[in-house]
Amino acid sequence: MPHIKARVFRDIKARNGVKANEVARRAYLYVARNQTLPPEVRYQAQLQLNTFGKYTRPTTPKNRCHESGRGRGIMSEFGLCRYQFRLKALHNELAGVRKASW
Amino acid sequence: MTSIASAVSPSRLAALTRLRCAIFQTSYNPTSARTGAKYLRARLRGPSMVQYYPQELSVAKFNRMSHGELKIADLAEEQRLTNIEALKKRGKGAPKKARTEAESRRVKRRK
Repeated sequence: MPHIKARVFRDIKARNGVKANEVARRAYLYVARNQTLPPEVRYQAQLQLNTFGKYTRPTTPKNRCHESGRGRGIMSEFGLCRYQFRLKALHNELAGVRKASW
Repeated sequence: MTSIASAVSPSRLAALTRLRCAIFQTSYNPTSARTGAKYLRARLRGPSMVQYYPQELSVAKFNRMSHGELKIADLAEEQRLTNIEALKKRGKGAPKKARTEAESRRVKRRK
């Protein structure tokens, strides 16, 4: 990666935040979604869940291109966007990928 | 004509389910109440999430890791600093950070 983009940095930050807060979030989720517990307790747990920031939510991180940082058109098997995938495939840098011809 | 299901009483069926739960070590939950167990059972996703981007070792990162014992000259960083110095000499440097509200340009623009 010659030039790391700010959005990739932000994504890395979100991923680290998710990892750091995952256990606490799960514990609150367990209490909040448990129908056998009293409603007041569940409500308090839900309020606690709401206090977590956006960089702790597991749905915030987005798979971005390893090379260019692009967020769309990612081929998840390679972690590359379609253009970087093409460039690397044509330079024979992706094992087992060949340009189709028939 | 009665079917087999109606011939067995509901309490007997419940007892069967409870026994089945005891044998197979599952929790007896006849009303299907949400217990939140799936949030505890699910694997943690954080560890694999942080591994998505490949680890990149930069000169700055290496220098930070070695705690000043081993140092590599960071040519790109030196070039950046000399460029900034050159800009400052020509009076084209970045403005000083505002210390107070009054210094802030955003406040002035809003008026």
